[in-house]
Amino acid sequence: MNRKSVLAVAVAAAAATFSAPLLAQTDEQAPGAALGTTGIDRARLTSGTQFNPQISVILDGVYYGASREVHGPAGFDDGHDHGHSHGDAHGLEEGFNLRETEITMTASIDNYLDGVVTLALEGSSGIEVEEAYLLTRTLPAGLQIKAGRFLSDIGYINRQHPHDWLFVDRPLVSELLFGDHGLQDNGLQLSWLAPTPFFSRFGVEVLQGEGGIASQVGEEDFTIVTYDGDTTGAPDRVRWRASNELEDRSGPQLYTAFAKVSPDLGFNHAAQFGVSGGYSNSFQAQEAHSSGRLETWQGDGWFAGVDAVYKYDAGRSFGHGNWVVQGEYFFREIEADYASRVFADGSTLVPSMAGGTDDVFRSRSRQDGLYVQAVYGFAPRWNAGLRAEAVGLTNKSLEANSNRSNFESFDASYRYAAQVSFAPTEFSRLRMQVNLNDYAHDDGDHAHDAWEVMLQYNVSLGSHGAHQF
Amino acid sequence: MLRSLMLLALLVLSPLASALNVVATTTNMAMLSAAVGGEHASVTVLAPPDRDTHYLELRPNMMVALRRADLLVSVGAELEVGWLPPAIQGAGNRRLNPGQPGYFEAAAQVELIDQVPDANRSMGDVHPMGNPHVYMDPVRMADIARTLAEHMGRIEPEHAEVFRANAQAFAERMEALLKRLAARLDTPPGVLLYHKDADYLMRRLDVPVLGYLEPVPGVPPTGRHLNALASELRGREGVMIANPWQSRRGPDFIGRELGFPVHVLPTNVPVGGDVADYEALLEQWVDAATP
Repeated sequence: MNRKSVLAVAVAAAAATFSAPLLAQTDEQAPGAALGTTGIDRARLTSGTQFNPQISVILDGVYYGASREVHGPAGFDDGHDHGHSHGDAHGLEEGFNLRETEITMTASIDNYLDGVVTLALEGSSGIEVEEAYLLTRTLPAGLQIKAGRFLSDIGYINRQHPHDWLFVDRPLVSELLFGDHGLQDNGLQLSWLAPTPFFSRFGVEVLQGEGGIASQVGEEDFTIVTYDGDTTGAPDRVRWRASNELEDRSGPQLYTAFAKVSPDLGFNHAAQFGVSGGYSNSFQAQEAHSSGRLETWQGDGWFAGVDAVYKYDAGRSFGHGNWVVQGEYFFREIEADYASRVFADGSTLVPSMAGGTDDVFRSRSRQDGLYVQAVYGFAPRWNAGLRAEAVGLTNKSLEANSNRSNFESFDASYRYAAQVSFAPTEFSRLRMQVNLNDYAHDDGDHAHDAWEVMLQYNVSLGSHGAHQF
Repeated sequence: MLRSLMLLALLVLSPLASALNVVATTTNMAMLSAAVGGEHASVTVLAPPDRDTHYLELRPNMMVALRRADLLVSVGAELEVGWLPPAIQGAGNRRLNPGQPGYFEAAAQVELIDQVPDANRSMGDVHPMGNPHVYMDPVRMADIARTLAEHMGRIEPEHAEVFRANAQAFAERMEALLKRLAARLDTPPGVLLYHKDADYLMRRLDVPVLGYLEPVPGVPPTGRHLNALASELRGREGVMIANPWQSRRGPDFIGRELGFPVHVLPTNVPVGGDVADYEALLEQWVDAATP
């Protein structure tokens, strides 16, 4: 801020300070003035057009326990970790966990735009911008543009923040196909609420492509340093360097489309059905091994899915008797050039298998997943739910098979969950969830069933939250 | 079922008419909009009358109604805050933006009781700007009708005089209603309410409110609170009035312990209800308050 603007701010602040009592006085004298005794502009009590952004903070803590170490389902490591990752339970450690502390600020920017920012404090360190977008409010014909960083409208649960979930954890299909935060990216969305007698909404998104199905590594050097014993016995330091031969791509790289329809079922029932899909013109990944081997994947991909939600409002107090049933299915295919190479000399990478070119090939990976869940309000303020999940019903992974001539196929993995929630008020919730994991392992072994138990608190501070459908 | 069909009929028929397309959040607001708009308004309602407007969940088809609305008539004061803001945002209808004549909040047009500027959540689900249940006061409803007429007149100036005349007629009916209600009351012993949703009516008619079953707004009655109420009011005369969506356990306990007659009354007219239904609704409450 330069000196002039500092001065301007100071003058404005001083003017506001001096004029405030004067304004207040005028209010008292003018009967029926727009400002109530609370000082709140009474012409706009709920609309959220106060000058200050509405701020809400979500606190989310989980106690996590597992009957054994839980490895990710076979075939879903995108060629990065070869199934040795521990990332399945959202990075939950056994014991007490502070999950995302979510800070959301919402305000009208002017009469044309609304602005929304959601920051997530990850655990006890690190800030991630979950969402930061502008949303138009004056386009004609039911059109809206969202610009910035946002959760994509594909599927149903993708758009929800963790505190909206009816279970502690994200469905596997969402996590494994779209990432730990779902499909969350920078870009632009155009949506249209069609003038039909029932709800129908259509949209397209152009996204930068930050990971998952649309990922960018770019051309860079692969370098290793080896120490060979030379003939004199002294270590001989050799630096090997070569291009990874991936192309530099520029964004945007991901294009998605969605359609949602909801028949009018009156006051008590609501259902929504959606189809969505996307195309990525760049899928890139690489994995450097300390042995001096470099694996690269380069190609493109697409995904498509269907989702359905049904809600029943029993009309009793505190959600008693209400039902929410939802399910989603997604399929994704990546067609990629795979190369596994080693250094032939100081600056050339050649296929890693002796005399062969078999470990450089082009192939398709096909994977899918689904979940179905139902939650019932069995008493005022209490609900209980069951969820069944399957991933990899089709499971041709991105991992090269042992001959390195094709991508490998793995078995399907399953997970079952049951939860009970108690919400003392609409601002706080306690939840207990038990998962039974029946995951396939890379070697086809299913004998690693694991039980997980999670105890969660989830509370909101600040402005009164509203939920999307 | 009948209710769903009526809503469906309203949704299907409303685009055909060239009348002012009004979407009301509650059936009371729909009644008021129809009374003021008369033949020049076609009214759709979003929230059914038999449940708590505060805890309603967003339904996608609310956005369909809002998308084509010329005017949204809400209760305001945060009563619909759990579902109306995302419904408006999702509808993408610029006529409903705050500041436009198409956005109307009833509670913003009148003085509210129970304002708690220094509220915090430990006091329950309080509304700092005041009690939102203004629709239970016929006098405030008359004032709201007059400002609503001005709003409608700004959107359709050619019918502004009709709207004003309709609002005036409504106000006169409310004045007469208030006299009838006062005449029916004969030294009321006082009412015990479940929630603070009839305070406007009780204050208007000088009926003492003995207490609330909710320990703080938005929290269902606890055993300790019910026992405290029972011991505090033992030996007193009174009546218990609850709403259809609330659990009967608390009210029945009070009825048993204190011998209060227990009434379960709606606070909104039926879907499609008119001024006569509204008058009947308030008469029902007054009759219940007079044992």
